[in-house]
Amino acid sequence: MSASDHDGHGHDDHGHGDDHGHGHAGQSRFIQHHYDDAKHQFDSGKFGIWLFLAQEVLFFSALFVAYVLYRVHHPEIYSYAHKWLDVKYGAINTAVLIFSSLTAAWAVRAAQLGQKKLLIACLATTIVCACTFLGIKYIEYHHKWKEQILFGKFFDPCVSPGGEELITRKNKCEGTKSTVQFDEAAGKPTAGCFEISKLDLDPDRVGIQADCQVSEVKISKGADGKEVEGASRPITNRCKDELVELLEKTESGGKVGHVATHETPKPAEEAQGQQFPCWRPSFQPFVCLDATDADKRLHGQGSKPTAGILVEYGDELERHDVKINATCKERPVTPPPSDVHADKTNTPEEGVKAVQPLHELTTHEEHELEALGPPPEHTGMFLTIYFAMTGLHGVHVLVGILVFIWLLFRAIRGDFTSDYFGPVDFSALYWHIVDLIWIFLFPLLYLIH
Amino acid sequence: MASAEHHDDHADHGIAHVATMKTLVATGTTLLFLTLLTVLATRVDFGANINLAVAMVIAVTKATLVVLFFMHLRYDRLFHTVVFVSALCAASLFVGFTLMDTSQYQHTNIWDPSAPPPAPVGWRPTG
Repeated sequence: MSASDHDGHGHDDHGHGDDHGHGHAGQSRFIQHHYDDAKHQFDSGKFGIWLFLAQEVLFFSALFVAYVLYRVHHPEIYSYAHKWLDVKYGAINTAVLIFSSLTAAWAVRAAQLGQKKLLIACLATTIVCACTFLGIKYIEYHHKWKEQILFGKFFDPCVSPGGEELITRKNKCEGTKSTVQFDEAAGKPTAGCFEISKLDLDPDRVGIQADCQVSEVKISKGADGKEVEGASRPITNRCKDELVELLEKTESGGKVGHVATHETPKPAEEAQGQQFPCWRPSFQPFVCLDATDADKRLHGQGSKPTAGILVEYGDELERHDVKINATCKERPVTPPPSDVHADKTNTPEEGVKAVQPLHELTTHEEHELEALGPPPEHTGMFLTIYFAMTGLHGVHVLVGILVFIWLLFRAIRGDFTSDYFGPVDFSALYWHIVDLIWIFLFPLLYLIH
Repeated sequence: MASAEHHDDHADHGIAHVATMKTLVATGTTLLFLTLLTVLATRVDFGANINLAVAMVIAVTKATLVVLFFMHLRYDRLFHTVVFVSALCAASLFVGFTLMDTSQYQHTNIWDPSAPPPAPVGWRPTG
């Protein structure tokens, strides 16, 4: 050790072998002068990173407390809502993270042994894996974003677990009530939009007479000529319950109900007639008619009910004509509550008609969905917790990527030697804790029984 | 400084422990296997609580493997273990204490403004 104490840094002499105060000759130039030696510096850094990891555990524990608390009180939310998460994606991401943890630990070994090329390869693999993880996370988030399976008030309860089907019933979905305007004197429904499953497509019969199960709705192009995204969907039994918010149509004689493109429905618009803000159930088939049209139809003159589909574009709604493939089964008329003449339309002669089996659900998933029923109250809380936990974890992954890019840069520059590899070791420890947290998040969020 | 030789599982090149390739690969493989196992375990219906317990046991096993071998804690200073385990203890205290009095406020867990919870019974400070 050099005895020269020339630095004037207020330290006792730790033996500086060069003019820059960067450790002994032959030692990595990154060994700081205020450490005894490489080991001293490494140990200090390692202690620091372990303190940081302890803090990370506490940091995440707050979210785990929230998770446990809600799960204890609302197990039904968890057992329902986890169906929105795809185990496949979660499992792949777990494997990806574990593999990246392996390469990170391998990178440490390579750095310790001074294997530069291997170190670079391991760091690069870790970065690629981390990016893959975020990519898969993006797919999951994007899907939920599209389906409105989101946190807090952005959660739309009118969705179902597979994401493919619509629920839209009860569960506080606005616009799911079928309020039919009924003319008591005539004993007929007068105006409005009906969900198609409630309406007989036979022009000889008026109003709500049969239960039509829509098996398929196809729509190719919207009014603007553009493809309508996601409009062709299988419709299951779920959708056949009361659905459509009915808006009265006033004067406008004889015209088949017509939904104009409009913005958020306002009461004032009702006076304009012509407009049926059958809002909400996006992609939900509906039928609009009015009294005069129904009368004509009864005499074989009126047009058939117009079937349409509502497509939401942001705040706007558009109706598109669609091709509807429906089978109907007979059913006694369900008289609207205000109807005192229900019997008139409930004669057996009129009611009997082409009996067809309802659209059969085929896949296991659909049966499962059927059994689940509508989401329990406050299901959105699960998603709030899901997004908070995976979001915070995702931010950690992002930070990890940046740190590893920095490591890669330094590794290529040749900074790391067998006596200076602290940054690799410490970053790897951070990366392992990120993996560790995901190891718990995966079963807790995706694998709920 | 110790020798630069690294032999067997306890290789130490003077500054820190060097994990052997065997350890790393074995740990990684076991972790992947346990991931598969925990996914498969969900398919079997043991009842909700047992399924949760199985999943948690597997998760804790995986976490232990990561900490001991990937994070070198097995070969590291005891003090680092103390630091880390302390954090885990604190975290479990948070969860435990939160669960202790859950029956006291479960109506307010999810606040519904249209149906606020009943006022608490008993003495309340006045003035």
